[in-house]
Amino acid sequence: MIDAEIRRFALASLREMNFDVEGLDDDSLLGPAGADLDSVALAELGIRVEDRFGVTFADDEAEQLAAMTIGEFCQAVAGLLAAAPTAGS
Amino acid sequence: MNARAPGERGPARRCAREPVAVTGMGLVTPVGTSAAAVLAAMCEGRSGLAAPAAGHALDGCLEVAGFSPPIDPESVLPGPQARTVDRSIVMALRAAEDALADAGIEVGRDVDPYRIAVIVSNVGGSATLEQQVLSRAARGRLGVSPYLLAGVLPNMGAAHIAIRHGIRGYSSSIGTACAAGAQSIGEAARLLRADEADVVVCGCSEAPLHPTFADAFGNARALARGWAKDPGGASRPFDRRRNGLVLGEGAGVLVLERLAHADARGAGGYAAVLGWGATNDAHHIMTPRADGEGAATCLRRALADADLAPGDIGYLNAHGTGTRLGDLAEAAAVRTVFGEHGPPVSATKAVTGHLLGASGAVEAAVTAAALGRGLLPPTHNLQDPDPGCALDHVRGAPRATRAEAAVSTSFGFGGHNVSLVLGAPATRRVRRA
Repeated sequence: MIDAEIRRFALASLREMNFDVEGLDDDSLLGPAGADLDSVALAELGIRVEDRFGVTFADDEAEQLAAMTIGEFCQAVAGLLAAAPTAGS
Repeated sequence: MNARAPGERGPARRCAREPVAVTGMGLVTPVGTSAAAVLAAMCEGRSGLAAPAAGHALDGCLEVAGFSPPIDPESVLPGPQARTVDRSIVMALRAAEDALADAGIEVGRDVDPYRIAVIVSNVGGSATLEQQVLSRAARGRLGVSPYLLAGVLPNMGAAHIAIRHGIRGYSSSIGTACAAGAQSIGEAARLLRADEADVVVCGCSEAPLHPTFADAFGNARALARGWAKDPGGASRPFDRRRNGLVLGEGAGVLVLERLAHADARGAGGYAAVLGWGATNDAHHIMTPRADGEGAATCLRRALADADLAPGDIGYLNAHGTGTRLGDLAEAAAVRTVFGEHGPPVSATKAVTGHLLGASGAVEAAVTAAALGRGLLPPTHNLQDPDPGCALDHVRGAPRATRAEAAVSTSFGFGGHNVSLVLGAPATRRVRRA
């Protein structure tokens, strides 16, 4: 259930950030070959997720976001949430 | 294009004082988006100033301001960036795109990417910064966008223009407040005369219409007051009833080009930049020297750089902000240099308001258009000239002229003075704005 909420939030964020989310699914890459987020856009997506779910990406995790698919990104957020069960909304 | 390697300098054949051609102009102003439109507004006495709409962020902050037309950011930037850049950058991009199209220049086709430069600035995206400061105060670290710097830094107009058009030569941003637009044109001429570039995109863009800036100018008692019922009357340079400047937003970008380069591609020129000068009052952070000595020396330098005498100048487009001290100092400077029988004078800010750094670029474009048309525009609202500002004011109706050379002055907070000398078109082909 939390996975679905993370996915919904991530896609809504991309839409708000003016990215074209038409046709994106769990297998779409966040980086240039998919949704086409550059490093600043990835940073903003990270900030939005941190703000919404109360998690924090470590620097090395943030660096790996470009290579992730949307599904992997949602799992990573869910993993962080599980590791910090008191955080989040 | 020539056969040089990218960025290689040509043979040292340049005359230091060679004029350079103005081959393209792009403007965003409260009275239109071309030099011809601004000239027409001045000639018709059509003001672009208005009270902020009810519910506007400036409602209650400013009685009157110069609002430029809205521009869809996505028309000049990719979607994700369009959401996050300051309006000053959007206007800079629009003006640069229009100026390059007007000049008929496509980078790579008409000029070597390493032989075109960009010198464009803004005071900084202060409206966006204001919004982010408020967001941070409310929400802490997570309220701050990672896009903030790319959206507000003073160089980002130049950077976005370079990225959008593939301009790979010299790039810079001049930060001399309200002298920045004029100084960008001067520095562009310097670059072209030194053969460091064939083409320079130069100018300034300003979006100061937000509460913090409005209150800063208001609390400094710099703004015109008491004109809520007559917004079009608020900006009245050199008039006895003037009581301050009117803030405006806009952009002015010019394409300057080495004469030989313009001629070689058959480009018509609106005007020539014949020379320029810059000085500093070294006097006060916000007020000019009362005797106008710094501005006068600046004018003399510009004339010497253009190799002209005061009597050669047939029109002076004044900085003319409508502040008591500023207008007095400028009139004193003009009388010092040109004597009692100086050139006809008029001020563009009467219809546009004060576009800060952008005003110098817009006014250079207007001056070029006036020379091209042979028509000197009047100063709107100049009904009762202040005897302390005695000059040959053009007022009421435009004046026909055969002037071949004109001066545009700009002065910035911090004591920065810049004078540009413009001449009738120097290319073999001639355009009229």
